[in-house]
Parts: sequence; C-alpha cells; structure tokens
Amino acid sequence: MAVTPDASVTFWYGCNMARHGEIVRLVTRILEAVGVEAAPAGGPGYCCGSTQEKNARIAAGMAVRTVEKFNQAGRETVITWCPSCHMNMHDLMAPVTEAAFETQHITQLLVARADQLRPLLTHRVAARVLAHAHHGFHGRVPVNTDVPMLLGMIPGLTVLEHPLRVPGHMCSAIAAVPGELARAHRETLAAMDDVGADTLATIFHSCHREAVALERGRPIRVVNWIHLLAEAMGLPHTDEYRLWRNAEDPRGAIGADRIAAAGDVAFERLVEPELRRPPTI
Amino acid sequence: MRNTEQRFVAHIRDNSVRLAAACTACGVCYHACPMVPRTAALDGAAPEAVMAGIRDILRDGAGTSEAIAFAGACTRSGVCTPACPENLDAAFLMRLASLRVRGTLGDAPRVASKHDPGWSARVKAFARLTMSEEEQAKWL
Repeated sequence: MAVTPDASVTFWYGCNMARHGEIVRLVTRILEAVGVEAAPAGGPGYCCGSTQEKNARIAAGMAVRTVEKFNQAGRETVITWCPSCHMNMHDLMAPVTEAAFETQHITQLLVARADQLRPLLTHRVAARVLAHAHHGFHGRVPVNTDVPMLLGMIPGLTVLEHPLRVPGHMCSAIAAVPGELARAHRETLAAMDDVGADTLATIFHSCHREAVALERGRPIRVVNWIHLLAEAMGLPHTDEYRLWRNAEDPRGAIGADRIAAAGDVAFERLVEPELRRPPTI
Repeated sequence: MRNTEQRFVAHIRDNSVRLAAACTACGVCYHACPMVPRTAALDGAAPEAVMAGIRDILRDGAGTSEAIAFAGACTRSGVCTPACPENLDAAFLMRLASLRVRGTLGDAPRVASKHDPGWSARVKAFARLTMSEEEQAKWL
C-alpha cells in the first residue's frame, strides 16, 4: 500500500509514554496542524526490545515483531519519540529485519516544518525556559539544539542556555546508577538558578516522569517541550502524571472510578508505588 | 533462513568482531566518557588497558574486571563517538560490549542490570488511566 508521508505516518511513541497519554494526543494534533496525519502506535506490543535486552531470544522476537507490524501498516515513515527506540531501530532492528519505511525523529520533522508551525504559535507563554539536556542521542539527532529552536518560536517565551549536559541519553539510563539521578537533579536546579529559569522543559518522557517532583516546594514549573508548543497553539491539555505525582494523595487525585477502571490490583501493585515514591532530592 | 534469534545474535557478533578489529584501544573514548569519574571501579584504571579489555569482551573473551565495569557503566552518553580518532561508532561498540556483559548472548551476566519484571503490566496499567478505551484499542 503506497501512502505518502504527508498523508499518513506512524507515530511510534514507545512504551513508557503510556504514562503520558496527553503527550501522544498533543503530538498527533500538532502533526496534523502542520500537515501530517499520524497514527500513534506504542506500548509493549510495539517494543523495540531494549527492555528485554538481557535475553537475545526475547529481545529479537520483540524487535522483529515491531518491524513487521510497521511494514504491514504500509506507511512509508515512522516518526519516533523515544531515543532508545530510535537508536535500537537503527542499530539492532532494521539491520536484522528489513524495514519498508524510513525513520525520522519527531524533532526533525517539526524542525523541517518550522515555517508551518511558527504561525500556529499564537498564544503568549510567559516563561524563562531551560531545556533538560543529556549528552546522549544528540549525536544522532540534534535534540539539544532543535528543541530550543522550536521553543524559541513561541511568543513571550525566553529560551535560556546553560552548558550542563546530563550523562546518558535520558534519565532512565542514569536512574539505575546509585546517586546519579539525584546528582543530575541538583545540577539541573543549580543550572536553572544560574540562568534565571522558572521553567524546566524536559525533552523525553523518562526525564519528565523523574523531574516533575522537583516542583514540590520550589517556585518552578516542569513541563515537556510538547506541552509548551501545545500551550502556544491553544491546545487544551492537562499533565495528569505531574498532578498525580505531586499530589499528597494520588488515589484521591485520580479518583476511585478511574482506578477501578484501570484495575484496583494493578494500580496498587504497579502504579501507586511509583506515584508515591519520594522525590530524588 | 536463519531464525530471528540467530539473525539478531549474528548481527551482534559480526559487528563486535568488526569494531574490535578496527579499535586501536587508544583510550580517547574512555577519557571522554562522563561515566568514568562516576564509577568507583574505574579509579586509577589505565584507559588503554580498559579498552583492550573491551576488545577482548567483543571477541568472546573474559575481559578484565575494569573493562567489565566500564561496559557496565555505559549509559549511552554517546560522547565517545565524536571523540574517536578512528571515526568509529564508539557508542555502538560500547553498546555491544554492554549487551555482552549483561548476558544478552546467553552467557552468565557479568554485571547487574536493571530488569523490571512488571514493565509490561505497568505500562498497560498506566495506559488504562491515561488513554480512552478507543485510544487503547487503536494505539497499543
């Protein structure tokens, strides 16, 4: 099936982005606004294999299955979000299973369509923003310059620069190293202080879920860069993960009906411990 | 045609051999890595010796304790690639070494690695909270 990239692309949002359904929704709407109709795909059924990389049989099975599903979808372009997925596709997936599509990161697509995006950013966003930058992935896709460039198009918003680069490609990579996430957060807050930032813009989802708790007791705002673009476009949204993570009572913030719909046992065992985890610092 | 796992393993082995042969173990990538000063097991290690150990790991060898620690410390910062004077994809080289010490090819793991047995169920539980039923049906 021949499908032009403009008419239809797959937006491969990864797996852990399921925590941030509103970002998936907003990306889809932003893409549509710049002329790209996107079909989101993600979750464990579209795993890149990195979560199971201790076992070649499982990792390979997941990777092949995902490439084959994208091939069967017949779309010529897969737009990535997650840096792990993006790198795995290039390093381990497409070289093993022939991919009938090209891969492009969401930031590359939006930078390429900046002229279409700019006039849509009509709402002022009064914020002094520092982007949360890692060393990793920037060598593949220049996210540490592309995201600030895109945010710089928002009226009223000031993008600030600081040389801090956190190790790893996103915060999940350093979260397993004792003390490193707390160190990264301390250095990030110090960098914000240095440049007078009131807003931290996370680039990736794992950084976002780890950083939102930095808001507690501090006069700062932690948002994802997509939230800022959406705000400037007047797209209504709520970062529920941030609200739940910072709520004294996550259960109360979510509500009994939604918890019941999600499954009480699954919520208690899998979701609640994460939401109630103490902040890193 | 070889099966999925065999193709995947062959890709890892083939690239391991290729990059181990091209690497000169000069240690420039080691100097560039932000995780080195953060890894106690690498205190005082000689960069060239560590990278010689990495090459050994890529060639199915046992490596050295410091090479295993370096491979295990990789968080995919990627600064090794632009640093490499041989213009190798050093980040991919380290990724392969990291996979090997974690036991991807069936060997006993030589470093502890993060593994979340509840990952899939957790992702689905969050999806049920943040996505409508229609979105879950279409997007997952």
